[in-house]
Amino acid sequence: MNTNDKRPSGFLIQFFRWFCHADMVDYIEGDLREVYDRRLKTSGKRKADWGFFIDVLLLFRPGIISPRKPFQNLTNYAMLKNYFKIGWRNLSRNKEYSLINVTGLAMSITCCLLIYALVKINFSTDNFHDSPDRIYRIVTEMKSNSSYHTSGVPTPLPGLIRENESFGEEIAQIYLANNVLITNRESDGLQFYREEEGVVFVQPEFFSIFNFPLISGSYKSLEETPNSVFLTKEKAQKYFGEGDPIGRSLLLDKEIELTVAGILQDFPPNTDFQSGIYVSYQSFKSYMPWLASENFWSGISGNMQCFVLLNKGFSSQDAEKSLASYADKYPISQDTKSTYSLQPLSDIHFNPVYSGSASKSSLWVLIAIGFFLLFTACLNFVNLATARALRRSKEVGLRKVMGGVRSQLFWQFIAETGIIVTLSIFLSLILSYSLIPFVNQWFGCNLDVTVYYNVEFFGFLGLLDLGITLLAGFYPAFIMGGFSPIQALKGKSSHLKVGGFNIRRSLIIAQFVISQVLVLALVVMMNQLKYATQSDLGFDKEAVVMVTIENDSLNFKQALKNEFLRIPGVVNVSLCESAPVSGSGWRTNIGLGQGAEESDLLTIIKMTDENYLETFGLELLEGRNLNPSDTVKELLVNETLLKNLGIADPQEAMGRIVTANGGNMEGEIVGVFKDFHDNSFHTEISPMLLTTDARSYGSFAIKLNVGAGVEPLREIEEVWKDNLPEQYFEYSFLDDSIARFYESETRMLKGIQIFSFIAILIGCLGLYGLVSFMVAQKTKEIGIRKVLGGGVSNILWIFGKEFGRLILLAFLVASPIGWFLMKNWLQDFKFQVDLDWWLFIVTLATSAAITVISIGYHVIKAAFLNPANTLQTE
Amino acid sequence: MKEFQLGEFEELVLLTIGILNNVAYSIAVKDEMEDRLNRPVSLGALHTALKRMEGKGYLKSYFGESKEERAGRPRKYFEITATGKKALLFSKETRDSLWNAIPASNWQSSLKGI
Repeated sequence: MNTNDKRPSGFLIQFFRWFCHADMVDYIEGDLREVYDRRLKTSGKRKADWGFFIDVLLLFRPGIISPRKPFQNLTNYAMLKNYFKIGWRNLSRNKEYSLINVTGLAMSITCCLLIYALVKINFSTDNFHDSPDRIYRIVTEMKSNSSYHTSGVPTPLPGLIRENESFGEEIAQIYLANNVLITNRESDGLQFYREEEGVVFVQPEFFSIFNFPLISGSYKSLEETPNSVFLTKEKAQKYFGEGDPIGRSLLLDKEIELTVAGILQDFPPNTDFQSGIYVSYQSFKSYMPWLASENFWSGISGNMQCFVLLNKGFSSQDAEKSLASYADKYPISQDTKSTYSLQPLSDIHFNPVYSGSASKSSLWVLIAIGFFLLFTACLNFVNLATARALRRSKEVGLRKVMGGVRSQLFWQFIAETGIIVTLSIFLSLILSYSLIPFVNQWFGCNLDVTVYYNVEFFGFLGLLDLGITLLAGFYPAFIMGGFSPIQALKGKSSHLKVGGFNIRRSLIIAQFVISQVLVLALVVMMNQLKYATQSDLGFDKEAVVMVTIENDSLNFKQALKNEFLRIPGVVNVSLCESAPVSGSGWRTNIGLGQGAEESDLLTIIKMTDENYLETFGLELLEGRNLNPSDTVKELLVNETLLKNLGIADPQEAMGRIVTANGGNMEGEIVGVFKDFHDNSFHTEISPMLLTTDARSYGSFAIKLNVGAGVEPLREIEEVWKDNLPEQYFEYSFLDDSIARFYESETRMLKGIQIFSFIAILIGCLGLYGLVSFMVAQKTKEIGIRKVLGGGVSNILWIFGKEFGRLILLAFLVASPIGWFLMKNWLQDFKFQVDLDWWLFIVTLATSAAITVISIGYHVIKAAFLNPANTLQTE
Repeated sequence: MKEFQLGEFEELVLLTIGILNNVAYSIAVKDEMEDRLNRPVSLGALHTALKRMEGKGYLKSYFGESKEERAGRPRKYFEITATGKKALLFSKETRDSLWNAIPASNWQSSLKGI
């Protein structure tokens, strides 16, 4: 028998020790072992074990089981309670100090939470589908002299893939038709709805790939019933109100009669499919017959997209390999080679090459800004906490005398910070929750409070709480915990090292740097946007209304034009294809000379009548205006085109023949006009032709009298309704459309405005708090100075010198950083403002002004104090 | 009766401790009781009773030697305190007085009844 056999079961012993009352465990265990030993000798191992088991079991009874006293285990419960009590008392006693800290932190945390929501919704785009990692979009790269990426594919490709290839479990071809007009003809009179998000022509497979559940109807009807349409619940309500929408009809772009066949659940906000209208792909053949044609290989529309759900076991590389053969077999044109590749679903939202809607870099900028805001608030906290550390010195000394050690004090102060931070987090939760609607309105985003209802978010909150507490609390706690008890109790502040003033100075400088960089960004952005939207574009954009018309009869359009001209307040009317500046335009290659080979010179051609120059105030440099004509006969060119054609003297161009559009178009140059900006300031001025071609006129450009107000516009609408009762009257002011080019910049500017405002506000709070302590410390000094003859200006200079130095130092750091960042931002613009020195001066002045405002009150108060009062105690 | 609460099992334990005088530790008590009363006594019940009576002040205890067979754990010896003794006496007197109160004739008849 080895020793192991003589022992009772270890598990039972452990169990007994676990439940037994600590006072009794020793001798009862002794008893158990003694009895076991005796039984072992008398009746053997088995019986002894069994007896032991029974004994232990019978000991498991009240009176022997240790009672539940939780706080007995947490030995420092009372201490922790005390920390919190003291912390809370300190907070409520120093109301100003707590308010400054909590406000600063709450503001920056609110920004962080909102940024979190924004980032989260962007990074979770379309992640709710069944197998998002197997969903790909086929995209095309076209290579000739230059390379061009498009999110679309040639129309016949998806069909061929479905027939011949095995890599796709599901293939769905879709066409996104943007900016359509939906007409509801059922109700009394016509109702028009302009849908900017447009409609999507889909095959039923689309809904097997993407998870957009139907409330009623069946996916099959998309294939079986031509012209059937699915609406989201929201859209159905918009068109038909509360009634049953199934079976009712809508008119798409005034030509296709759609019948509602199903209702889709409303889409979650985190999807790139913004449209709520899904039309059977069958209808696309009548919507755009030329593009829908099954052997149209010669062009690619970025809206003709193909989504693939890859079969398990196929990689995107496999699929790309098999797609290569199609590129060889069906070239786009003789010298254009296309390459098909698979773009993962997760990439679609972000990739700018294929016009992804969000940019990762701006999200990172947001995250950085959020971090810096937090950082500023933390700096405030550190500054204020160290500045007032002396007030706590007696407490620290006493605690140390009573046996407290540095680590305990450290954790005490960390806990106090924790209270403040947690309080701020609660505040900002409420704030951000209630701010979401305003944020959505302001930035045109679609945040949803539901991002705040998940575990991940609470994890983020916890992390934030911990992170801020440590970031803000570490340094002050470290310093205060390190006070020497003797000196701390003596209360001689001069002996205590309260984080040398230089550290506090550098923290203030860091704060100034952050706010100065933001202010500089703000100033530069505002300047650039003002430049882009308000500078002279080379044509007159004030009070020009663009009205689109869909009617083929030229006579009718001419008649309408004359009617418009009769309205008082209308200065000029031109029939044209588009305004001088427009995001889209017809680009084609042109050649010089009759029947000439077309060169690789992409040129914008605008079809206009003879009133165009006058209406938009375009300046002719040479030659004459176009003569009225219904077909292409005469041309006007801009300076850029001449330069590109290698013609130096405008006069030389007169009478030359230009061939365009594959030889279908030929005309004689009769004039040269001055360059104007035909697109946003992001791009260069394009070579441009103006010519007459009555078939292409789709808009009226109506120049109103600048002071005329809305009256002419109303009369235009009346004229329209009299002549075209069936058509939707749509108009836009040209300068509004121009402003829309800079939508993302304007949004960014708004963001920077708010963030810099908050950063400055937090900085002000900090300075205000800090200066109040500084003044309190210097009261005696000020008193003595005044007694000895120092004037008010003298006292003011003490503080002015100090802060002036800090601002200048910060400016030395901030200006190169800001210069670099803004230089980068301006890269996006082909026409940009200079980073003038005055922008930097404005920044510096702003910074100084803000500082004066925030420290002024305390400083002036201190300077005017009667020294008799401050010195009377000594 | 109120000041001296003593359950039946507790009384037996207390009496046994009295018998064992000076060597009364739990296992000795258990053995003695099992011996004399011919009934099994579990350690659990015994320790509960001991603890309760110590709490009431009927017993006092001291730790004795630790032996190898107890894996170094000490024995806990118990002694009856004065209160304990009073409680025992009180208990006995109460019973005696009750015994004496039973009329002799009753005994006769009930015996007859059997």
